[in-house]
Amino acid sequence: VNLDLTDEQQAVRELFSDLFVKEATPARIRAAEPVGHDSALWAHMIETGLLGIGVPEADGGAGAGLLELTLVAEEAGRRLAPIPLAEPAAAARLLARCGASSLLDEVLEGSTLLSLATRDRPVGDQLLTDGAIADAVLAVEDDHLIVAWRPEEVRHIPNAGSLPLARWSDPHTTSLASGEQARSAFDTALDEARVLRAAMLTGLAFEAIEIGAGYARERRAFGIPIGTYQAVAHPLADAIVAADGAQLLHWKACWALDENQPSGPSLASMALIFAGQTAYFAAQQSLHVHGGYGFMEEYDIQLYFRRAKAWHGVFNEQQREIAGLADRRFGVARVPHLQTAAVD
Amino acid sequence: MDFLEPENWMKIREQAQAFVAEHVTEEMIVEELRSGDGVSRPLIQALGDRGWVAATWPIEEGGAGLDGFEASIIASTIRVAGGPTIGQGTTMLPANAIRATGSEALRQTILPGVAAGHTLICLGYTEPEGGSDVFACKTKAVAEGDEWVINGQKMFTTFAHEADYCFLLTRTDPQSRGTRGLTMFLVPLDSPGIERQAVRTMGYERTNIVFYNDVRVSDFYRVGEVDYGLHVMRAALEAEQNIAPASKTTALYDTAVAWANETPDEAGGRMIDHPHVREQLARFAIDTEVAELLGHRVAFIEQIGGKPGPHTALFGPESYVAWSSRMLDMVGTSAMVQWSDPEAVAGGSFEYHFRSAVASTIYGGSSEVLRSLIAEQRLGLPRSRPKL
Repeated sequence: VNLDLTDEQQAVRELFSDLFVKEATPARIRAAEPVGHDSALWAHMIETGLLGIGVPEADGGAGAGLLELTLVAEEAGRRLAPIPLAEPAAAARLLARCGASSLLDEVLEGSTLLSLATRDRPVGDQLLTDGAIADAVLAVEDDHLIVAWRPEEVRHIPNAGSLPLARWSDPHTTSLASGEQARSAFDTALDEARVLRAAMLTGLAFEAIEIGAGYARERRAFGIPIGTYQAVAHPLADAIVAADGAQLLHWKACWALDENQPSGPSLASMALIFAGQTAYFAAQQSLHVHGGYGFMEEYDIQLYFRRAKAWHGVFNEQQREIAGLADRRFGVARVPHLQTAAVD
Repeated sequence: MDFLEPENWMKIREQAQAFVAEHVTEEMIVEELRSGDGVSRPLIQALGDRGWVAATWPIEEGGAGLDGFEASIIASTIRVAGGPTIGQGTTMLPANAIRATGSEALRQTILPGVAAGHTLICLGYTEPEGGSDVFACKTKAVAEGDEWVINGQKMFTTFAHEADYCFLLTRTDPQSRGTRGLTMFLVPLDSPGIERQAVRTMGYERTNIVFYNDVRVSDFYRVGEVDYGLHVMRAALEAEQNIAPASKTTALYDTAVAWANETPDEAGGRMIDHPHVREQLARFAIDTEVAELLGHRVAFIEQIGGKPGPHTALFGPESYVAWSSRMLDMVGTSAMVQWSDPEAVAGGSFEYHFRSAVASTIYGGSSEVLRSLIAEQRLGLPRSRPKL
């Protein structure tokens, strides 16, 4: 067991941390709402090579692993960077795994914004996490790994997290691969997206707690800083412990997926569920510490609060994620009528 | 970054399981449930024979030269099997403090016996009016020649009725308050003037009230400088905050999953096929994993010479308490049956955990104290307790 980052990993983290602090400012985040996409920031990230971090050098990437990507995702989460990250980064790795080199080139140079359809349903039947901004999404339909191309008319669907949600009706599709291997490669991509979303949510949780603690150190009531009151301080202490746990959990999931450990998929499910729960708890406590001010649009904590819920919910219904974790951990339920009913 | 269990863990786990098979007998488990002593002399002797009482000490000092991970694997393997481990774990807190700060003569006298499994030490910090505020200590020690005369009362001195010594916190400067003017002693429990009174708990654990009436202790048994007991005790307290019963959470989880797989339900399936059970156990699996990971982090930070802080001691026990209750709800009425009855489910484990878990958020420093420490140390929030 070794929980240290290497110097290179530390350097990747610092590079993107500085970048997001400088560019993903609260003013830029607000300017990018309601769609939740800052195309100038996205172009900058493409130029910096964000999507290539987890792609092998032979395929035009930097040849690092999922862990390096999660470090970037955690920093993006801290700053609520208004760019798509989890699904496009996982999609780029999936293309490399399938040998789809020409599409991968387009993705890495930024001419095609490629995301994933995250739900187990036809592309035309689901809310797409990056639907309002993506040029294409990868999905599995009828045993084929497909690229579904953005239709001409796409309507952004306003939502709690100011995210680029949209539906695509009857998109044109092309097949990339087929068979069991294609299915399992796509499942791996979804698990990698889970881990990256968990990292984003962990970063969000850390920063939400810091915002709340910062406010509690300054704001005075009844003559003393409110952080002196245990009823204010203690929930934030619970939150920071949970955030540490969320970080360890997505790191372990990352390691397990990279090393092909059998526990990888269930750890990925756990990481997303726990990080979602933790981020919401942290942001909610922190917002509450602000009193009425936390409710005002002008305060940044409301930006964190809304995304804490939405970044998880946009990927999949939580009930399905938990049922999926149970299947992975305990095997599929033997009596069909007792399986969890579909929630749409 | 590497989460792989190194081979030596597997090896030490196998050795610990073989040890358990040989030494943790059915009678010993039942006796522990009945008596709540927290220690078995034959078991701790057997541990001592292998150098596993002070497992992290070098072999020359009677230990086994193991690292912190390996030592915790031994303890949790015995604990999960139902063997008593409180005596050994508690003894090592003062033993390590004495090893770090005690006089050469005291170390020579005490530590070999500890490592060999002959000498047991209990903790005398808490007082009736003190609770988690250990520095409210009122027990007095007054110098008389090269002896000290001790008067006072300590609460919750677990396994005092089995131990040889008590690691006792006293006030030596009568004018002092709070953390100053305190001195630590290693008091032989066969000294005249010591009276032990049993306290039964609802969690199958026996503890004690210990009265000290004009107990005379040689200066030889003083640990650290007079009036500077805080330095001695701080190290032992921090070590205690790092002990988190993640292994109990894991044991409860494993029991619940086994129950769900083996128990038929009314619809002709098994309980594990039931959506409510699946959801509960999936959520429980997550908290168990997080508790284990936070525990691993403590061992990792200690290994590289850092201070892990009180994080793990908060999450592990808090989730243990929450799940010990939820498992009673999930399993149902039969989970409430005690181990002693033939109808007991899973050997009465659910009832046992339900009864005993609630103490875990208190005895290593109550959760409220830990939260305040985290708020101050990690979040830079103002100190909430009055400074004395």
